[in-house]
Amino acid sequence: MAMRQTPLTCSGHTRPVVDLAFSGVTPYGYFLISACKDGKPMLRQGDTGDWIGTFLGHKGAVWGATLNTDATKAATAAADFTAKVWDAVSGDELITLAHKHIVKSVDFTQDSNYLLTGGQDKLLRIYDLSKPEAEPDVVSGHTSGIKKALWSSDDKQILSADDKTVRLWDRSTMTEVKALNVAMSVSSMEYVPEGQILVITYGKTIAFHSAETLEQIKSFEAPATINSASLHPAKECLVAGGEDFKLYKYDYNTGEELESYKGHFGPIHCVRFSPDGELYASGSEDGTLRLWQTTVGKTYGLWKCVVPEEENAEAAKARTTLPGTAEEEIEDLASENSDSVYSSTPEVKA
Amino acid sequence: MPVPVPVGVLRLPRGPDGCSRGFSPASPRFQALLGGDAAAQGVRAALRQRYLRGLAAARGRPTRFCLRAGVRVDAVFGAADVEAVAFQVDALRTPLGVQAAALLRCTDVLAYSFLLD
Repeated sequence: MAMRQTPLTCSGHTRPVVDLAFSGVTPYGYFLISACKDGKPMLRQGDTGDWIGTFLGHKGAVWGATLNTDATKAATAAADFTAKVWDAVSGDELITLAHKHIVKSVDFTQDSNYLLTGGQDKLLRIYDLSKPEAEPDVVSGHTSGIKKALWSSDDKQILSADDKTVRLWDRSTMTEVKALNVAMSVSSMEYVPEGQILVITYGKTIAFHSAETLEQIKSFEAPATINSASLHPAKECLVAGGEDFKLYKYDYNTGEELESYKGHFGPIHCVRFSPDGELYASGSEDGTLRLWQTTVGKTYGLWKCVVPEEENAEAAKARTTLPGTAEEEIEDLASENSDSVYSSTPEVKA
Repeated sequence: MPVPVPVGVLRLPRGPDGCSRGFSPASPRFQALLGGDAAAQGVRAALRQRYLRGLAAARGRPTRFCLRAGVRVDAVFGAADVEAVAFQVDALRTPLGVQAAALLRCTDVLAYSFLLD
């Protein structure tokens, strides 16, 4: 039975959504934070997209947002030259960390005790959140503005990307371990702890590198400039989105393009898989977030595969607009057509 | 070739309510992680309400302010801002004369008192 992807649109932002991040799985499900140029990052329930709250306080566009593993804290990076730490349960602002320029990226250590920031002043800063008044540890070396900074190797190392390089730093010595020169401007970076994989996008390329050696594992070329990509937790597939407003899904092992979806009305700036891999979220210039199913047709979150009770095949065939049909009807449809019911999906308009 | 059927959806994701910043204290997560101290919260709410009523009662009444360094001034209470950063007073009697209207920094005010009818 051919099922068509139904993306769930989360509205609320009034300007482009430039970053998004999922928390880990908590006893209350998992959560999603979105960074927006309207300065008002939002927290949502991860599996439904339901709005939970808006973090109010920034005075400029928010460029980066993240949640700690249990979604009790959030951190945001903004154009008002501050990074802020928030209580993600009450929505209260906890700490404001002043910087000397636009802050672009924030990342918690796994124990939530330290916050890494990076931005246009080309410096990486490590804040001890138990002593926010204290001066942060500063790591210098980047020669252009930092776009993304992430903890890696169990928080013993730091990965950071600026316009043309990706660098690996040792946290204890605060020195550079390795640097990678990238052919074109790095648009995004994702760190996958299991397997120590680094996902980088630049131009039309989606590249996978070892997070320990920065050696390239493999890379794929997309039909358009890609702004963000995410690897499925089980590493079976990856999703990517960019300037042509479309989302692409690839087989990680073969590089085969599995699906592509239209739906956004503007370039896609960020895309991330949920921690359980059942869905992925995309944020766009059009100001919306969309949630997409990894397995189209599966009952999960707000998606429901409706199977009607016994009815005759004629009535079922006549209803082409309602979702889902019983097994016998699928076979009836299949036998009537010489073509296979579900061939490889070409570009599907969502 | 049969038309692909769109996956059914129970409802659309809920958006912002438009009148608050969210983070509802009624949510199970809030209750479990932050709501345990319901009794203390109730006491805080009652004390806050009493304080606000006190400010309202002071309005228009002659009030004595005890400031730092033993300074005492009399004035007619006007208003307070929402965070009690400053009190606006009328007819502030100072050694230099009477100020028709003035702002007193609350951080400088140790105590103030007024007579109820």
